[in-house]
Amino acid sequence: MDKINVDYMLAIEEPFMKVPLEQLKREARQSQKLAERETQLVTSGLADLIKKQSSLPAEEYTCMLDGLIDKLKVLKRKLEESKQEETLLIHRSKQRAADLNELNDFTSATQSGFQRWCRTRLERVLIDYMLRNGNVDTAKQIMEKSNLEHFADSSLFALVMSTERELREQHSCRGALHWCAENRSALRKIQSSLEFELRLQEFIEMIRGKKNPEAIAYAKKHLTTWSDTQLPRIQRAMTLLAFSPTTTCPPYKHMFDVARWDGLAHEFRMVIFQLYNLPSQPLLHLLLQTGLSALKTPACQSDDTSEHNRNCPVCQTDTLGKLAQGLPLSHHSNSNLVCRITGEKMNEDNPPMRLPNGYVYSLSSLTDMAHKLGGMVKCPRSGEVYSLKDAKKLFIS
Amino acid sequence: MDSLVRDCEKLSKHQTAAMNKTLGSVEATIRALELALTEPTSLASAHRQSKQTQDAVSEQLKELCTNVAKYGKHVERTFKLDLGVVAESRAFENKRTELGQAIMLHFLRSGDFDLARSFLTEDKSIAAEDSAWERFEAMNALAEQIRTHVLEPALEWALSKRTELEALGLGLEFTLHRLRFLQLVESGASVEALGYAREWFPHSNTSSERLDEITHLMGVFMYARRLGSSPYAGLFGERRWGEGAHEFAAAFCAVQGVAGASPLAVSVAAGARALAVVSKVSSLLRERRVEWSQQDELAVEVPLPDDMRFHSVFACPVSKEQASRDNPPMALPCGHVICKASLDKLARGVRPGATASGRFKCPYCPSMAAVGDAERVHF
Repeated sequence: MDKINVDYMLAIEEPFMKVPLEQLKREARQSQKLAERETQLVTSGLADLIKKQSSLPAEEYTCMLDGLIDKLKVLKRKLEESKQEETLLIHRSKQRAADLNELNDFTSATQSGFQRWCRTRLERVLIDYMLRNGNVDTAKQIMEKSNLEHFADSSLFALVMSTERELREQHSCRGALHWCAENRSALRKIQSSLEFELRLQEFIEMIRGKKNPEAIAYAKKHLTTWSDTQLPRIQRAMTLLAFSPTTTCPPYKHMFDVARWDGLAHEFRMVIFQLYNLPSQPLLHLLLQTGLSALKTPACQSDDTSEHNRNCPVCQTDTLGKLAQGLPLSHHSNSNLVCRITGEKMNEDNPPMRLPNGYVYSLSSLTDMAHKLGGMVKCPRSGEVYSLKDAKKLFIS
Repeated sequence: MDSLVRDCEKLSKHQTAAMNKTLGSVEATIRALELALTEPTSLASAHRQSKQTQDAVSEQLKELCTNVAKYGKHVERTFKLDLGVVAESRAFENKRTELGQAIMLHFLRSGDFDLARSFLTEDKSIAAEDSAWERFEAMNALAEQIRTHVLEPALEWALSKRTELEALGLGLEFTLHRLRFLQLVESGASVEALGYAREWFPHSNTSSERLDEITHLMGVFMYARRLGSSPYAGLFGERRWGEGAHEFAAAFCAVQGVAGASPLAVSVAAGARALAVVSKVSSLLRERRVEWSQQDELAVEVPLPDDMRFHSVFACPVSKEQASRDNPPMALPCGHVICKASLDKLARGVRPGATASGRFKCPYCPSMAAVGDAERVHF
């Protein structure tokens, strides 16, 4: 089983490839919209100017023309920034594709090149984990140590974290709403009501601040647009106007709860992950859950520690073993025997040998032992001593 | 993947061209407008230029967006797996500290002490693991010295642990002596090398293979001045230091009773093999409202390489079921092994309705046996 299944390895790299692509799509779309809008404004501004040209005093003519020139200069600067960003994202995309393409060069899992590739993968999975949890310095150090900046989505996570902080700590929806405005069509496609939730929260805060007339005006402007999908909730929100922030009446008490801000932060994170094809849990979680499950045998969670193998990750009782509790056991439809003494495979080349006490070891380990103990072997688990001749070969079809 | 890389390259070229054209166009209009400042008669032509730019910009950037979308579709076709199903599991809820500890130990083992410190600072729930820290600091220091061709400290350690290493069947001491021997030969100190060999080689594990190896090594003296072109050239490759350091680390861990390789790395590697397979099955399970991580056993087998086999797994050749405490493997006198449930079934099958004490034929060979002849085996 030293073969590498490239298809399986590639299959799980969907987020790795898709994030820069999504960012690129957004960047290209935004610069297109901006450029179209600004050039259209300049053209129509010029048409206007031509009409008024004869009746316009010199300074006003210069002023208006200067205004249009400035607009274009600003556009040019923004386009240059966009170009740089797009180039960066395409380059990043290419590097990631090239890294994954490397997998096709390896023929065996024991090759040192493949092992190096796996180490890099572990590092980028750890970077993703650290960034998601806000351990930015540690993530940065890993990136610098191994030159993996292009494999990390630092700017995306920085956006998530700064917006979350704004929501959780400053109780401000500004950043989040700005992001929603820029991504409205994408949000509509996934039928997200995030923007509504943010508007609702601002409405609630206005009531909390005893600014009821402003709240009503706000609701008219921002909540009514959601009437077709959120009418019951809008109605309840309007009813909130009749209550004071210290009310104990259940549904309205919950609406005034400050913990709603944490919920908003979480919702924002989940929506942005969804838009960028990132799984809701870190990739490290997914790899460990399935990996530990695939390694887990009943022996790993046995109270009898003699059943544990020091090299088995699931047998690490304090750390990974605890994580593996509750996970499914591995499934095997074929036998695979491993010698307790050497850890080597027991098969036709090195057959399993059964001692009279029922314990089984590989022929090679028993032979080595007999060589040192003058033809006798000692069972490591029970301590009983037998002659090598008493060991009988077993056949596992 | 090859075609994806090529497509990306094409996109890159197109993006550069498109953006350059766009910027050039905008610049042209700026220049035209600046001219119109001093020569108002050129305003009309400036307007025409502006219209031209507007159209060019729109065309270029729309095409760019289309190409980006095309590349996007190509990526989507290549990566079709939805990890969302697996991500629905809540298996790791409230286990952040344990996972943090595992990561911490991984950093220490790899010698990344700065990372460990940074992680400790950023996540206050992680414990410092002092004993592991000391252990891996020592291990990494000695291994690093081997990599820089300094063997004395590692040798000192190996000699102090001679009994443990022999009990574990590890030949580290000889490996280090051999490295020193080769080092002396390489530097031209043949006399010293011979003296070293005389002093240390006989003490090491003298199995027959080891004696053969020592005999082979002694021949190196014939080529002392032309090692590079001798049959022994392979022994003097730069790789031997890294391999020696690696063997040292493994032996160190064995003596200390800890895992030879980072458990985190091994689990993630296992996960990389398992995730795609489990993901596909989980989608099917979800249709039946069954959550993959809540089952007793995975629904699908994940093939693992030999170096990830840490426990014996016995699947009965008759029933294909895995052995367990309630259904242990039983050896028949002929040496074939089946699980107890299959054994009972076979015994009952001989005379239906009778007690399970009849004789039956082994499913795999002509020998006969009775239930009482079968004995439990422990792998």
